[in-house]
This record gives sequence, C-alpha cells and structure tokens, in this order.
Amino acid sequence: MTEVARARPTSSDDGQERMPGQSDMWVLVMIEAITFSSYFVVYTIYYCRSAEAFLRSQSQLDLALGVINTLILLASSWSVARCVERARAGDHRAATRNLALTAGGGLLFAALKLHEWSVEIGRGNFFSTDEFFSFYYFLTGMHLLHVLVGFIALGVVYYQLKSPARRSLEVIETGATFWHMVDFLWVIIFALLYVMR
Amino acid sequence: MTLSAHQRLVAAWFTLSAITLVAWSIGASHGRGPIEPDAAVAFSAIAITLIKVRVIIREFMDVRHAPARLRWITDGWLASFGLAMLLAYFA
Repeated sequence: MTEVARARPTSSDDGQERMPGQSDMWVLVMIEAITFSSYFVVYTIYYCRSAEAFLRSQSQLDLALGVINTLILLASSWSVARCVERARAGDHRAATRNLALTAGGGLLFAALKLHEWSVEIGRGNFFSTDEFFSFYYFLTGMHLLHVLVGFIALGVVYYQLKSPARRSLEVIETGATFWHMVDFLWVIIFALLYVMR
Repeated sequence: MTLSAHQRLVAAWFTLSAITLVAWSIGASHGRGPIEPDAAVAFSAIAITLIKVRVIIREFMDVRHAPARLRWITDGWLASFGLAMLLAYFA
C-alpha cells in the first residue's frame, strides 16, 4: 500500500471528515455540473416555447430503453462505489471485480445508446429534424463523450488496483468520482428528454 | 441500527432504482393518446431528479463524509439548478 493509501482512513464510517478523491476532480465535477445545468435550463426554455412540438418528437423515443439505460448506469455507479469501499477495506480482488462490473455496465449503456440512435436515424429523426432532436443528439452525444472519458478514469483505477506497489485510495476515489458524475448527468438527461411534459 | 458501508450502498442503489421506476410510471402515458404539457408531471420529474442526484452525491460519491465546504457547494449547486429549472418551466 502506498503512503497515500496508508495516510487515509480505511472506512468511510469512522466519523471523520475527509475529501473523497482529489480536490482537482471536484473542481472539474462542479464545472461540468454548472455547464450541463446551463444546457438543461436552455432546453427547458426552448421546450416551453413550443411544448406541443417537443412532445410530438419526444413521444417517438423509447421510454423503456431510457429506463433500462438509467438502471444500468445506476448499477454501474453502485458497483464503482462498492469498488472504492472494498479498496478501503484492503480487499483489492473484490474491488477489481466490482470495477469490471462497472466497465461492463458502461459498455452496455454505450451499446444501447448507439442502438437507440440507429433506431431514431432509421425513423428519419436526425440532428437537423427539429429542435427536440437537435437537443436530443447534442445532450446524449455530449454525455456519451463523457462515458468514453469515464472509461479512461476506470482504466486509471484498474492500473492502481493491479499492483500493490502503486495503490492509492485517493486516485481510486478520484476515478470513481468522475464515473458518478457521468451517472448523475444521465439521471437529469433522462428526466428532461424522456419524462418531462 | 447503524448500517454498514455496504448496506448503505445497497440501500442507496435500491432507492435510486425504485425512484427511477416511479419516474417511468409518470412518463408511461407515452402512446396513450395525445400527450400534452403537464405541469404536475414536469414538477414531479424535476423533484424526483433532484432527490436522485443528491442521493448519488451524498451516498455514492461519499460527500456525506466530506468537509462542510464540499457539502455546501454540492447542495448549493443542486438547489440553484432546481430553482433555475422551476423558473425556466413555470416563469
């Protein structure tokens, strides 16, 4: 275990306050959260200007697929949280297993998103079809880009877990933090694009 | 009774998944005739989303154990975002 790992509590329930992951990652998370928030508010303003047209296009989306994708990302977020919890307990084998589950969930999410896009394109719904589909492809595309960056974060976590010589809980938590951000951004996108009326 | 870290994560995941299914039932009127703007659905969708995001931040991202400034910053962003969304929809 590295000096960094030894210096940090092994349990999150020890009653002590501590930063989960590196501060720099939290700055990035807040910048991303504020940036996406502005996209979501702009979407809502455009939605309210022509709600009927937005709802006509929204009704073509597969709500069940949106729900399944949400459940998949929530499960992957749980498994990466479990990965961190196991790493804190020193059970790196279980941590790696949970990390693999997380990556599997991410891959499944990306595959279903590509499938959904292909279905919509097959129906003649392109980026330029109307305002709703412009927002749909922009928001889901930006999010998928973050999922891909999330795989790099998961790769860094795997690299840390693989060798006892370089295990750093702080870096593992930092990678997990990015993946959780990908999860909560999708939770908001799902509500706006699939549910809100 | 104090839950272990593992039990808390399972409880958070279960809560988030259950809330997602509630959101599904709210949006499930798709395909059942004409869909019209519905302020109650919009308010519910935004409220449910804010709850889910806070559970993810507090439980999965472990912000409940973070220094107070991070707890305030994340709650401040979430409150501001919720307010901005409600103003964008209802104003």
